[in-house]
Amino acid sequence: MNCASEYKTREQKENVVVNKYVVAEKAVVNAPVERVWEVVSRTDRYAEWVAGAIEVTDHHGIATVGRTYAEHNRTLGPLRTHSVWTVREIEPMKRRVDTGTGFAPLRALTNIFEFQAVKGPDGQDATEMTYQVEYTMGLGPLGLLLDCIQQPAMRAGMRTSMANLETLLRSENSTTAR
Amino acid sequence: MTGSQSSAPTNGRRRNEADVVVVGAGLAGLAAARELVTAGKSVAVLEARDRVGGRLLNHDLGDGQVTEIGGQFVGPTQDHVLTLAKELGVATYGATVPGENVYVHDGRAKRFSGSTPPDLLALPDMGIALARIAKAAGKVDPTAPWRAPNARELDGMTYETWLRKAEVTGAGVDLVNIFLNSAYGGEARDASALFSLWYVSTFGDETHPGTMERGTGTEGGAQDSRFVGGSQLLAQRLAEELDGRVRLSAPVRRISQDADGVTVISDAGDWRAGRVVVAVPPLLASRIVWDPLLPPQQDQLFQRLPFGTLMKCVAVYDKPFWRAEGLSGMGLLRDGSPIREMFDNSPPDGGPGVLMGFLGGKEWRRWAHRPARERRGAVLRCFARVVGERAFDTVDYVEQDWTAEQWTQGGPTSVAAPGVLTGYGEWMGRRFGRVHWAGAEFSPHWNGFMDGAVRSGKHAATELLREG
Repeated sequence: MNCASEYKTREQKENVVVNKYVVAEKAVVNAPVERVWEVVSRTDRYAEWVAGAIEVTDHHGIATVGRTYAEHNRTLGPLRTHSVWTVREIEPMKRRVDTGTGFAPLRALTNIFEFQAVKGPDGQDATEMTYQVEYTMGLGPLGLLLDCIQQPAMRAGMRTSMANLETLLRSENSTTAR
Repeated sequence: MTGSQSSAPTNGRRRNEADVVVVGAGLAGLAAARELVTAGKSVAVLEARDRVGGRLLNHDLGDGQVTEIGGQFVGPTQDHVLTLAKELGVATYGATVPGENVYVHDGRAKRFSGSTPPDLLALPDMGIALARIAKAAGKVDPTAPWRAPNARELDGMTYETWLRKAEVTGAGVDLVNIFLNSAYGGEARDASALFSLWYVSTFGDETHPGTMERGTGTEGGAQDSRFVGGSQLLAQRLAEELDGRVRLSAPVRRISQDADGVTVISDAGDWRAGRVVVAVPPLLASRIVWDPLLPPQQDQLFQRLPFGTLMKCVAVYDKPFWRAEGLSGMGLLRDGSPIREMFDNSPPDGGPGVLMGFLGGKEWRRWAHRPARERRGAVLRCFARVVGERAFDTVDYVEQDWTAEQWTQGGPTSVAAPGVLTGYGEWMGRRFGRVHWAGAEFSPHWNGFMDGAVRSGKHAATELLREG
């Protein structure tokens, strides 16, 4: 059973079969990469654009490798969770890697943002953003079934997040506040 | 004619004299001054700001148009402010804009007509909450809430605790909080249950008991109408009528009473008067230097009547584009939205277009100190949820944070936590020697509203004239 094109590998760990998944979505955000990077780097702002992040409950401001932030998240339907994320890798304007806990049965959760400066349809500065989530799930065939249920929602959330990010950037790009 | 006289300098400071000094040129102080002048008293009104109106403030949109960034709505049973407006030649117009309202919840924006949000899950809770509020508020005497049945029990818990006793899903409290967000600049958890039920009981007059529906309603309710030229025009017309009796930039620092009169020390000089009407927010009244000291119970009461935290956020557009799409511009937003309630705040002839949202309570705490660009973006995203993405195309954007006003320090009104009304409430408007109190927070009808302010000013003047 394989419901996802990015379904990647099965690993044998301590005599337990673990399914590893990679889910990626891509979008062009209509804003220069500098502005995109500025917002994405703010660990206090995720609830403003990441779908499912209800509230950032702890943060350290601008993302710093090795430091953590925490969120209260929506998962499936009415289910909620508390997650803790650790910033693992920063390549300014290009790549950000965080790992997270709190989304059981998803484990070894890794969140990767990648950015590339591009031109929009009218020649304006824009950003191609790749939003990738990697995770493992035990539970054997049941895990595969669960992933079939959760993965479409995860993908929709990733697409919504990038759309939200574009809306956020647009909203902050209007006339100057007095 | 100024109504007061100057005498020789004392200790290097020129001393002015008047029968009555009124402290504060908001609606309450100006209404009191008007009554006193009519009764033949010489009056000086001392205002700390460089403008009149207190919490009434117009924002100039150009071409003679304004929008209000302070108190603005009036409605049925608010006869004192409506009568005053008529006397001052300030007309009203219906605030309700034809079109559908929008309810934003669970990531979806739904259009609706009337006053009931389209939320089948929340409606039972809301129905239960409204029924309980109506029943309990009906037992509270607006003139003496501390004498209500179970007053101590009700004043021993927050409004949220009281509301949750009959909750099913929690939606009732959230919907009540939408209203309180702008009404209190806070939430149900900030106020005592007794205070909140009393507040509801004040949404009426001597012959129409207060109801939640009247207080929260648009057409036929407290948000029924607005003033042509903006609400601050009332204060400006009153000041004109007072013909030089209002002294601006004159914050009062000290009030001393003796057997013969009262000395009022302000930054613009000293006044000697027979009586004083203090018409400033209760907390600010407690910060004046009093000689002798205020009665400690009254001082404690005033310290316990702080205003909420409220910012008005206003976006201006070339025209009210949402009307052509069948929208009223009115929106109710849940789920932790920064703006929870918004209105079309365009001038009466419909141009330019103005959207106004309240940023209050915990949302104010979350956003007030964020960079202006981020806060503006968050507000405009709320507006966009209701009227579409054209909300981003502003020609102007203005915020009025009432907590940042030195001579108001919050908004829109005082909110009492548990224990205050039963512990100190009877000291609410009690005369202190030669000092009388006025202000929307002292009114038993439309407490915290413009009508309450006018009522309190007239009441203080009547009391003063009766007693001396």
